Amino acid sequence: MSQLNVAVVIKLEPDFSEGSVSYNPDGTLNRAETKNTLGPHSAIAAEAAFYAKVKYGARVSVATMGPPIAELALQTAQRLSNADELHLYSDRVFAGADTLATAETLKAGIKKMQGDIDIVFSGHRASDGETGQTGPQTAWKLGFTFLGNVIDYEVDLDARTIKAKRLISLQGFCDIVEEVEAPLPVFIAVDPSYKPIFNTVSQRLSFAKYRKESEVRSKNHKYYLQVFNVEQLGADKTLVGLPGSPTIVYKVERIPQGKAKRQAEVLDGSNPEHIRKAVSKIREALSAMVIK
Amino acid sequence: MTEGDYRHVYVVIEVQDGKLVPVSFEMLGEARRLFDKFNKQNDSSEKVVAVLLGQNVKEISESLIKAGADAVIIADNPDLKEIRNTTYTKIISQIAKDKEIARRIEPKYADQFKRPRYMFFAADSIGRHLSSTVLAELEAGLASDINKLEISDLEINHQQKTNGMPVIYKKTLEMYRPDFSGFLWTTILCLDNTNPAIERDYHPQSCSIIPGVFEPIDPDQKRNGVIIEYVPKIDQNDLRVKVLSRKIIKSQIDFDSHKAVVSFGRGIKESPEQNIKLIERLAKDLGAQIGVSLPISKKPFSVSQSVASTYMIPDRVIGTSGRKISPLVYIAAGISGAMQHIAGMKESAFVVAINPDDAAPIKDESDIFIKGRMEDVIPLLIEEFKVQSQTATA
Repeated sequence: MSQLNVAVVIKLEPDFSEGSVSYNPDGTLNRAETKNTLGPHSAIAAEAAFYAKVKYGARVSVATMGPPIAELALQTAQRLSNADELHLYSDRVFAGADTLATAETLKAGIKKMQGDIDIVFSGHRASDGETGQTGPQTAWKLGFTFLGNVIDYEVDLDARTIKAKRLISLQGFCDIVEEVEAPLPVFIAVDPSYKPIFNTVSQRLSFAKYRKESEVRSKNHKYYLQVFNVEQLGADKTLVGLPGSPTIVYKVERIPQGKAKRQAEVLDGSNPEHIRKAVSKIREALSAMVIK
Repeated sequence: MTEGDYRHVYVVIEVQDGKLVPVSFEMLGEARRLFDKFNKQNDSSEKVVAVLLGQNVKEISESLIKAGADAVIIADNPDLKEIRNTTYTKIISQIAKDKEIARRIEPKYADQFKRPRYMFFAADSIGRHLSSTVLAELEAGLASDINKLEISDLEINHQQKTNGMPVIYKKTLEMYRPDFSGFLWTTILCLDNTNPAIERDYHPQSCSIIPGVFEPIDPDQKRNGVIIEYVPKIDQNDLRVKVLSRKIIKSQIDFDSHKAVVSFGRGIKESPEQNIKLIERLAKDLGAQIGVSLPISKKPFSVSQSVASTYMIPDRVIGTSGRKISPLVYIAAGISGAMQHIAGMKESAFVVAINPDDAAPIKDESDIFIKGRMEDVIPLLIEEFKVQSQTATA
């Protein structure tokens, strides 16, 4: 069997879990007070790569672009994926990049990884930016076939092909699961509903072996870590960071509240009479069904 | 840049199983409204251009003209029946750069034509990725998940873009996207670099548009338009990506057959597990399905694995990035009412909010607003339902 090389691109994101997240009084995220963590969709991408390690003995490389603190996200992703190689692309000139400029940096980085990469995994979208554009744009720049919303995949190592199931949701249509076959290399954006399944005894044994190894590796993550600045990456300075970003954030404003659509009757939740009224109104509204 | 370099808005239409996805009409409707105003203000005649790829799609093109398009570019080919990202990306990019197509749309500027001025895609499983790869190919800017658009002349002073000098950017598309909280609007612009050190043209200015946000126009049977058949160059190598099968799956969470929906949001926070149990009991008594607000799907609270995997899932999210529902009764417990949530529940017949904060935006979308914490209010409601239904059957 020939070797499989996979990469994962991840992101350090605000941690939206209670206790870590902080909101301003107006409901917006308080970024200064909110802790950062490996993004939840990035974590799923790392699990998809771990599946390749368990099932196909793949070599795993994990990469992120960000400030030095993003090393933490790499460490967490290594624990999930048992990565053999960690890449951090960190340079002031990368800052402020939009999706196209980020894709340029990630492309340059993936090309620096050991071995030719067969599959790149990314999350569905970041939970802060939420664009979902960086993955497909990186794929395009690499010249890899892009497969989005992937919920399951199998690799044929001899034929160098992949079969993937994709979940397609469209307005006014039932959801569709599409099975596609593509020659490697491919770039996969993993759907949030992806769940790796290990069926055979040998898979479960390798799962346990690699899981144990990943704990050890991630405690010693610096050994696997390489940090690249723009020169070391060999990226074109005019195509990354702010200079390479076609888009800018022009303004951020509070979404104005529209006019009240309904005239709410305000009831006091501690007043039994009000509760009686609420329930009888709900019952009345529900009985509209009977009349229809 | 001259007047003819960048013209028109190209709207990438989506077809599934021979039928147009509704967002196609919504995008055309908004493009029509924007361009009627734009052409009047600028004394110009730029066009709304629909781009339609697929197999046997010609018959659909007339309906696109009635829905607001001035021109429809059709690439009709058996190899386009399945949507392969690579093939579609290359063809849409070819179309965007094609001067002969531009000539058919508007002969006057065809020689200068470089790119469309703007491009619209749908923010869904197809358009989200297609827009990304097309704009990577065209090397221009893209904003995702837009729900408001305006075209203005803007004075910009940007350290990188304009080298810190004020520059007037004419006919700039202001692309508004709600952030993850649903409370903030971020306006994204796609701007050429005028800074001599990094000078670059970034057209088309492009975005993906949230389905269900914009209104289509009423179909106008008298509208005329030009239909342009384009013979695409298909790279046979790209057809090695094969669609093997397609299976329709029903969502596991069925909202449509329930007359009531009870949803919860971050207001469960003081005792998440117990509050969800209360929601379950209330929903059971009402025969209601259970929904959640978007933040809940990010699993922000530690609860048991079974509760998290049952409820804190994207499939239950009510809102722009989830389901749009219209039950007879909608109960929002501990949901403040971000715009993105409102979009999913505003068609409900009767809306009840349970919230301790009577300044919460959900109040303006409610018929009854019960002021109080859900842990206090829901047990009382459950008890009272019991009493009233016993009285009714007695």
